Amino acid sequence: MRVMVIVKADESSETGVLPDEKLLTEMGQFNEELVNAGLMLAGEGLHPSSMGARVKFDGKKRTVIDGPFSEAKELIAGYWLWQVKSMDEAIEWLKRAPFDQTEVEIRPVFETEDFGPAMTPELREQEERLRAQAEQLSKAAKR
Amino acid sequence: MRFMLLMIPAGYEDAPPGAMPDAKAVAAMMKYNESLQRAGVLLALDGLHPPSMGARVSFAGGKPKVTDGPFSEAKEVVGGYWLIQVKSKEEAVEWAKRCPGSENEVIEVRQVQELADFPPDVQEAAAGFSELQARSGTGTHS
Repeated sequence: MRVMVIVKADESSETGVLPDEKLLTEMGQFNEELVNAGLMLAGEGLHPSSMGARVKFDGKKRTVIDGPFSEAKELIAGYWLWQVKSMDEAIEWLKRAPFDQTEVEIRPVFETEDFGPAMTPELREQEERLRAQAEQLSKAAKR
Repeated sequence: MRFMLLMIPAGYEDAPPGAMPDAKAVAAMMKYNESLQRAGVLLALDGLHPPSMGARVSFAGGKPKVTDGPFSEAKEVVGGYWLIQVKSKEEAVEWAKRCPGSENEVIEVRQVQELADFPPDVQEAAAGFSELQARSGTGTHS
């Protein structure tokens, strides 16, 4: 199964304070362990919400609100995607992460088979094609 | 530039384990996904099971403490995301606006940090991260 590991924003990430060398080194070591264990599928940090926007939907109407979103209690600062055998395995790995004061959420990702018969062969084929093409583009973007 | 479009559906914070999106909504969303892919901007996309199937780990004082979902204090949670590659924040917002979202949904548009966004000393300390990312697999969906 895949899980998304969501790192919550705090005051320093939201004000754009960059991590110091100690944290970067520790996080680098942790990432290295994840890669060596074959768990790590992706990992990214997000710029503060002040550089972002929100879009609200109402019928055909769209309302755009520029960041920061100070009223939002739970903003995201970054995430990993991990390939694990169980939620327990994900939790055990996360406990080893070099965080201090941070809160991190683990959420299982929907896989095609989770949808059961609603996922027809046609839809499955479409889904697989989309993913294959997105992955190719993603690999090219990393280079 | 890469952006994350975070789908935040109101009420998803209380969804029971195994909750599934409505088939009609999925069909509309697949059309939207196709349009992102045809435009060559789609890098990744996923849906997340409800928080009732997840867990949180807090690190007060560096000591991990695990709480199983659902999370009663959560007012809004992520239901899924798209990762897109575009030329500007405006273009990312335009794509978010084209999503067949419903009244209870909000999309948050957030720029992804690239190594080049950091000052030289941080880039140096983080050296190897790009290499780690390149070594990280993408797409063993099982």
